[in-house]
Amino acid sequence: MIYYQLRNELWKMFGKKRTYIGFGAFLLAHATILLLFRYWQGPRRDMAHRLELLGYNSQYYISNLTMAVAVLIPVAELLMPLYVALVGGDLLAKEAEDGTLRMILARPISRFRLALVKWLAGLVFSIVLALALGVMGAAVASCLFPSGGLFAFLPMDGIFSVFEAGEGWRRYTIATAILSANAATVMGLALMFSCFNVKPAAATVLALSILLTSKIIQEMPYFHDLQPWFFTYHMNYWMKVFEERIPWADILQSLSILFGFNLTLLIIGCVAFQVRDIKS
Amino acid sequence: MIELRNVTKKFGRSVAVDDLTMAVPAGEIFGLLGHNGAGKSTAIGMMLGQVWPTAGLVKVCGHEVVRDRQRALQKVGAIFEAPAFYNDLSGWRNLEILSFYTAPTPARRIQEVVDWVGLGGRIKDKVKTYSHGMRARLALGQALLPQPELLILDEPGDGLDPEGIHEMRQTIQRLHRELGLTILLSSHLLAEVEQVCLSIAVMNHGRKVFQGRIAETRQARGWVRLRAGNFAEAAKILRESGLIARERDGQFILPAEGVGTNQVVERLVERRQPVFEIALVEETLEEFYLALMKK
Repeated sequence: MIYYQLRNELWKMFGKKRTYIGFGAFLLAHATILLLFRYWQGPRRDMAHRLELLGYNSQYYISNLTMAVAVLIPVAELLMPLYVALVGGDLLAKEAEDGTLRMILARPISRFRLALVKWLAGLVFSIVLALALGVMGAAVASCLFPSGGLFAFLPMDGIFSVFEAGEGWRRYTIATAILSANAATVMGLALMFSCFNVKPAAATVLALSILLTSKIIQEMPYFHDLQPWFFTYHMNYWMKVFEERIPWADILQSLSILFGFNLTLLIIGCVAFQVRDIKS
Repeated sequence: MIELRNVTKKFGRSVAVDDLTMAVPAGEIFGLLGHNGAGKSTAIGMMLGQVWPTAGLVKVCGHEVVRDRQRALQKVGAIFEAPAFYNDLSGWRNLEILSFYTAPTPARRIQEVVDWVGLGGRIKDKVKTYSHGMRARLALGQALLPQPELLILDEPGDGLDPEGIHEMRQTIQRLHRELGLTILLSSHLLAEVEQVCLSIAVMNHGRKVFQGRIAETRQARGWVRLRAGNFAEAAKILRESGLIARERDGQFILPAEGVGTNQVVERLVERRQPVFEIALVEETLEEFYLALMKK
């Protein structure tokens, strides 16, 4: 039964045009940034300089893979949460606003089950969106740049690594998969607000506000010691995949914390949804 | 089929429903009347477990809604004013989605309902292309899918044109006649309620101010039309005899409490007053309703 209800939620979700905004925006962002990389020499010259200083063949490392990773990071950090929150905020609040929630709750489905099915649908969307982000980045980069190894340069995280093409693609795939957890977390946050008696836009804005506030505090040097207490800190762990040796223990710890955070959001959302009145 | 016992609902300080006790017997078409904000939709929300009562007991199909909502709603269908659907999906897919919140529904059953409501030719089209009337039919279809015993209709006639209202009335009567459904109809359309309902309850500012048979509302104020040889003289005799409380318009009398029309006729005949006609005045539901609201 839950399978059919999940299928129905996905029909609803993917039946709406706004669900596809994120996919379109990713494609546009990838194309724009990668065209800039392709036709504006400045960044490539800088990359080549850094690589050659360390004795690497810059021709080989300024590749589709390097460019895909260079674009993946800002898009995943800035654009992905926006579109996930947009869809997550809609999940229940839009149904309440449109009046379809009253139609659903005239039926003998428990509110907990409905919220759970919505959460599962949100999870599927998060995974699809994160994978689409990875696939689109790789596809557009491959159209504009030659194949080669991966040069991962993330100064904020102290990462400066080079990989052969095979290992590079493996790291890229793992990073994309871990990004799904980030997307699911933002989705869970937006869905939690969507369970309250708020408009869909308010649920989206509240989720993004919490996300950005957490990021701001986490980045402030004064609160450096408190970093592990912020969920956004654990959402950065996917980038550690590009370190020379993947710190699996740290990554799994962060994923576990994100899982617990998501579970807490789901419980708060379910309780809020259970006790509220649904009116026309 | 539906029982509300001393039910109160407060939203903050405002009382939407105040100590409401009401029962809808099985097999009835029951009208729920009241002005905007009278508490009808809140009462229906409590019957469907969408609004939680502050106090009191709500039972539907023998099950307490707060404690056992799923069993209470197993055999219930509902339609709301301006029915909302997933506009980018087809009518068929909407029915599939909504029916699966009750139980897996075979395509054969969906097709039966589509045929019953007469949407066969357009069911695969997107709902956003449907007219208001077609949406109303689709709403009826989704309500009928779980093979309900109780149908709750919250302002189903809102926004319908005269043909649509006529069709809605016929459909309600057909549902009652052919499927034997118990129907709770909340509406502003007093003429429609008068034509289809057997009993009504009237709400005013969250309180029930009347519950009874439609037939009672027609005679509720008890005026009697009297055609006598000399109305003024006849009225004077009846007043002096203590048989009437009031008279008006040269043709209506209001018998005193406990006095029947037979006693009125007997007295007038005794006093040799010719009586050509005596009949209880039948009020329209609208007159009855407006009089109730003025109280």
